[in-house]
Amino acid sequence: MPAGVGRRAAVVALAVVAVLLVPAATAFAGNGGLLPPPAHSPNAHRIRDAYVFVMIFVGVVFVIVEGALLVLITRYRRGKRDRTQEGPQIHGSTRLEILWTVVPVVMLTAICGYIFYKLPGINDAPPAAAANQTTITVEGHQFYWLFRYPNGAVSIGTMIAPAGDVVHENITAPASEVNHSWWVPELGGKTDAIPGQTNHSWFQAPIGTYVARCAELCGIQHALMDATVKVVPRAEYEAFIAARAAAPGGLDVGKEEWQGVCSSCHRLNETYVGPALGGNPLLRDRDGIENLVRHGLRQMPAVGENWSPEQIDALIAYTKTLPKQKANGFQS
Amino acid sequence: MASKANHHPSAARQRFGSDWRAGRITAWLTTVDHKRVGLLYIWTTLGFFAVGGVLALLMRAQLATPNENFLTRGSYNQVLTIHGTTMIFLVIVPILAGFGNFLVPLMIGARDMAFPRLNALSYWLFLLGGIVLLSSFWAGHGAAQGGWTSYVPLSTLHMPGHGEDFWILGLHILSISSLVGAINFIVTIHNMRTSGMTWTRIPLFIWAILTYAWLLVIVLPTLSAGLTMMLLDRQWGTHFFDPVHGGSPILYQHVFWFFGHPEVYIMILPAMGIISEIIPVFARKPIFGYKAVAYSTVGIAFFSLLVWAHHMFSTGLPVGLDSFFMLSSMVIAVPTGVKIFNWLATLWRGNISFDTPMLWSLGFIGVFTLGGLSGIFLAAFPIDWQLTDTYFVVAHLHYVLFGGSMFAVFAGLYYWWPKMFGRLLDERLGKLHFALVLIGFNVTFLPQHFLGLLGMPRRVYTYRPGGIWEVYNVISTVGSFLMAVGMLVFVLNVVITARSGRRASNDPWLADTLEWYTTSPPPAWNFDRLPYISNARPLRDVRRRLEAERWK
Repeated sequence: MPAGVGRRAAVVALAVVAVLLVPAATAFAGNGGLLPPPAHSPNAHRIRDAYVFVMIFVGVVFVIVEGALLVLITRYRRGKRDRTQEGPQIHGSTRLEILWTVVPVVMLTAICGYIFYKLPGINDAPPAAAANQTTITVEGHQFYWLFRYPNGAVSIGTMIAPAGDVVHENITAPASEVNHSWWVPELGGKTDAIPGQTNHSWFQAPIGTYVARCAELCGIQHALMDATVKVVPRAEYEAFIAARAAAPGGLDVGKEEWQGVCSSCHRLNETYVGPALGGNPLLRDRDGIENLVRHGLRQMPAVGENWSPEQIDALIAYTKTLPKQKANGFQS
Repeated sequence: MASKANHHPSAARQRFGSDWRAGRITAWLTTVDHKRVGLLYIWTTLGFFAVGGVLALLMRAQLATPNENFLTRGSYNQVLTIHGTTMIFLVIVPILAGFGNFLVPLMIGARDMAFPRLNALSYWLFLLGGIVLLSSFWAGHGAAQGGWTSYVPLSTLHMPGHGEDFWILGLHILSISSLVGAINFIVTIHNMRTSGMTWTRIPLFIWAILTYAWLLVIVLPTLSAGLTMMLLDRQWGTHFFDPVHGGSPILYQHVFWFFGHPEVYIMILPAMGIISEIIPVFARKPIFGYKAVAYSTVGIAFFSLLVWAHHMFSTGLPVGLDSFFMLSSMVIAVPTGVKIFNWLATLWRGNISFDTPMLWSLGFIGVFTLGGLSGIFLAAFPIDWQLTDTYFVVAHLHYVLFGGSMFAVFAGLYYWWPKMFGRLLDERLGKLHFALVLIGFNVTFLPQHFLGLLGMPRRVYTYRPGGIWEVYNVISTVGSFLMAVGMLVFVLNVVITARSGRRASNDPWLADTLEWYTTSPPPAWNFDRLPYISNARPLRDVRRRLEAERWK
């Protein structure tokens, strides 16, 4: 029976290892899960390097400790011995205590050293001499991201950024907002968007489209508060912000507002987080809609509190294009 | 020391009555006996554990597939908030207090806690706090929705209804309960140890409970201050955390985490104390490096007061502060490692029996190690910028709080059950319980590391379809239900053995510490008389003396 118990423990241990291996294998087979996502910006690269560096130490320690545990419980299991039989009465060893204090200290010092070595490249953007510089303000709102460009242009839900430029991000939220956290996994770490405070981050990315997410619980639709960072050739970026600045009340701005802001909580023909909006006379009433988005109503936050009058114009211009009636058969 | 008169057996008998378990309901309602208070704590927390567990299953059911409509948005946020708050404030912290209440006087050879009535008060406040917290679900607009961290301004200016106020009130009551209990532990351990029980002869669990109590006394007032400011902001128009009027949302995070990080160690140190009691007994060896384990407990507690802002690396702190908090967090890994190495060394050349308490303890070492190691990534702040607020953190905290604290709690339940109730739990069901939970636990939480690295934020009620996210999420959900089955096996075990379990002798495990010197369960007065304590393993001395006399 005692041998049986030992064997059973070994079987359990093997089962655990097998279970651990399944997802590990899946992760290797797919494109990730064991490392941070592929990096497309120097700071994200260096974070990934730091992760790999720590992973090596952690992996070694993990194998040593778990290995020792399995070896010890297999080697020193009771087996056929009597339960009362004691092992040698060893009370400790100062040398060993020193050893397993000093070795981790050395290891952790190496890790911290490496982090400090990588830190400037993660924290500090390349200087102006090295690359073009652009600054974009990132504003977190319930439940959308708003981007402000140097020439006053604004976009919602999609940030357009010039490829190859060092893009400085001023990350903030209006004072009346809640905390958000701006995260583009492929372009670096998170930076919280805290009301009344401006934090900084940066990236320098090649042409591509990158997913951004809100990483701080910010309310009822936090789960769906994502955005896109579209890195495009410089000329295209210039053209975009010039067009936006020239027509801040344009239909495309209004469409972004409808899709990025209103649609987070409203559908035209069905109740979602908020009531259905199809056929609502407010969609044709500039003052009414301005009052609503600037001040909120009951559960609805003041989503457009700091919008410019042109942004309101843009919204009403777009909502006027929406169908006048609810879809047939809809009961609210 | 307790007064001399109490040490006379007949006087003690008279004073404590005949059988402390004989009473009916009123006897339990009015009890000030530390063992009964301890059992009340343990039963109540197990009830709350079931509540918190069901809430977790609801969340896993919702996340099993993308765009699920099982439990969405506001209700999901309520469930995640109450799940976290329940598990931390209504399960782990109080169940450790329950073990402490039952065991501290028995382990140090005292008749009761220093303040038996305060002890009862702390239990009843705990129950009240728990009820207030959970009644948050029935408040207008539902329960609190800000997560167990309840960050502002979301929880102050953007949360209508009274769910959040119930949450605040519940935590206020629970803080008072814990504070009262902590003071009681400190006074008891400092003053009521039996003769000969010096600081290097007290069980390591007592070191852990003493440290736990000191930490509670130090950090709970900070929590109370933060909660009070939050309540004032919500209800009386103050602006501590309101940036529109010059308040600071970051201030709340500092206040909360100054409490919140030591809280993590409040939840793990007594769990480690339990492990330090069990491993030597089932390895038939003394604990390796008693002093190293005891001092590392104190060391961890001290450094836990200096690491709080590692929860705030993404809030835009100056790099100097980030660096300081990285270094201090790394320092904590060292005494934690010391404990793990000493447990392993205790196994070395032992005579290891795999009874259920030992299996849970070995499981603890296995999974807690992974939880500790994943913490190193989070301490290195540039890496934390990638990992914070993702499922990686969810995985990490469950490896330390479930794989750590709760595994130790189950180890402790199987180990001390015979002392508490006079009957052993069934070993076969116990092993099945352990196997199901160990496997279910790893299946649930290991893939969550990968989800976090792949970019899944925590506290989301849904995610976009596609790719490997779906695979990991469904695996995780399967694992959580496997664990739930394991917990049902535990319930079955408790029910079956309540009538038919094997009767326990005074010392069924051949243990080392004083609680095994008395009967199972102990009489109201705990001990008739006690031997002089001359080392950290008095029961082994007693056994050896008896053995020597038998062969004379």
